[in-house]
Amino acid sequence: MNNISAKSLRYLTPLLKADFLVLLKNKRSLFISIITPLYIIFITDTKRSGQSKLGSAVFLITLAITTGLLATSITGYALTVARDRERGVFQRLRVTPAPTWIIMSSRLLIQVLANLIITIIVLIIGSRVHHLSFSASEYIWTLLVAILAGAVFLSIGQALVGLIKSATTVNAVGSLTYVALLLSGLLGPSGVLGTTFQNISKWTPVGVIITVFQSTLHQTVWNGHAWLSLLTCFGYIIFFTSIGIIWFQWDTGN
Amino acid sequence: METFSLFLLNSVIIYYVITKNKPVGSTVLNVKNLVVVYGSKIAVNNITFSIRHGEIFGLLGPNGAGKTSTLNAIEGLIKPQSGRLLLNGINIEQHSSTAKANMGVQLQATSFQSELTINQIVKLYAGLYSMKLSNTDIIESLRLIGLEDEAGKPFKKLSGGQQQRLSLYIANIHSPLLLLLDEPTSGLDPQSRRQLWDRIEHNRQNGGSILITTHSMEEAEAVCDRVAIIDNGKIIAIDTPKDLIKKHENDPNVRKISRGKITLEDVFISLTGGEIRE
Repeated sequence: MNNISAKSLRYLTPLLKADFLVLLKNKRSLFISIITPLYIIFITDTKRSGQSKLGSAVFLITLAITTGLLATSITGYALTVARDRERGVFQRLRVTPAPTWIIMSSRLLIQVLANLIITIIVLIIGSRVHHLSFSASEYIWTLLVAILAGAVFLSIGQALVGLIKSATTVNAVGSLTYVALLLSGLLGPSGVLGTTFQNISKWTPVGVIITVFQSTLHQTVWNGHAWLSLLTCFGYIIFFTSIGIIWFQWDTGN
Repeated sequence: METFSLFLLNSVIIYYVITKNKPVGSTVLNVKNLVVVYGSKIAVNNITFSIRHGEIFGLLGPNGAGKTSTLNAIEGLIKPQSGRLLLNGINIEQHSSTAKANMGVQLQATSFQSELTINQIVKLYAGLYSMKLSNTDIIESLRLIGLEDEAGKPFKKLSGGQQQRLSLYIANIHSPLLLLLDEPTSGLDPQSRRQLWDRIEHNRQNGGSILITTHSMEEAEAVCDRVAIIDNGKIIAIDTPKDLIKKHENDPNVRKISRGKITLEDVFISLTGGEIRE
């Protein structure tokens, strides 16, 4: 078994290199993933009271990170997978000796790396702009939560490419999903749309991720709600990954 | 310890069978009683054929006859319902990775990450076949296919003919025992098609075997040593192009279709029927 794994892993290096290059060349997705969170950071003003109309500085930073992770996972990962599947890139890779799980792992590992980079950039710039300081342990915990958040959003992306074959439709549905989830995170907690929506938004993928992020950055508020949110994250991962794996097809059957 | 010794022995035998034991004329691919089913549709119905070392074997058939399904089963892209597939004696299903390392594949649609440059694509696939190529090696090999000046270009910027050439080069990058080409010349101009035939012939001269599917009877006659005609998932004829023509030249159906000298196309249409397939 160890021998098989070691043999399989040697295929990972060339795949990681290629997937990383593709990620860098996918400028639209990179732009949205970095610019949108930074926009949230810069347009909000918390200088006077430590609060903006949307919420506290910590909330804004976590919302910005979540937005970046959401963008890279849904408009980035899902669209790249759907497009490559349509072009037959996966079929071409599958006829090489590389096992299919290595082909997919390479894609996911590159996304995790992208997620961590986005988190660090937003965390550093966000803390400067909003005059906050985080300890080393808070940085580490935030990066761990970023991996968890990435997993939630990547599982949603995987479910999209599992359920939808056409890359154009994945793009359209992915963009709608992105906007819907973003609005749920942006407007839900403020109560602008009423208490019912406020309560629902707490349990959406974006809602639970923001709760876990906030609790991590303010460890004092790690309460029952935070624990439930954490559990819900795992629930989302299992649910969406199952859909994404069961219904996923390597080619579009054209 | 015992398990490890058995594993080691097994690996040595597989390595020997794959790399050393390839006398010209012996079987490189053995397809036995292959059945491929999609839902309730039988795409490949109990077909049997074999390909010898150094042989160019053509799989001919109308649209939907089962050519690509047969190829996909050999390539490990689909799981056959039943049958046995052996590459140089190695069971393709059981030792998928070993078998794939000894096959080169050109799929119907050229399909590489369009953002990557030619150089990056070559490096990726060389890596997947555990080959170490320096930049000089890559440029040298690209020169052989007339793409040395395009090394830095993204795949999507290449012309159709250039993409096909790169695709065949990648399929052949590790000098496989068996090259599988799925309609390699479709959409190519006559010059590119002739060049590709020359490359296929060159490949055979280097000891490689080739399984090619094609709609072009001219191509089959020009490059294949033997052909199998497949229709409705079954092989209905298998022979050299010359002998197939000879066998059917006096068939009244063939004579009726023919417009002069009897060709492989006349025999093909006579055997598979004249109606258009979707």
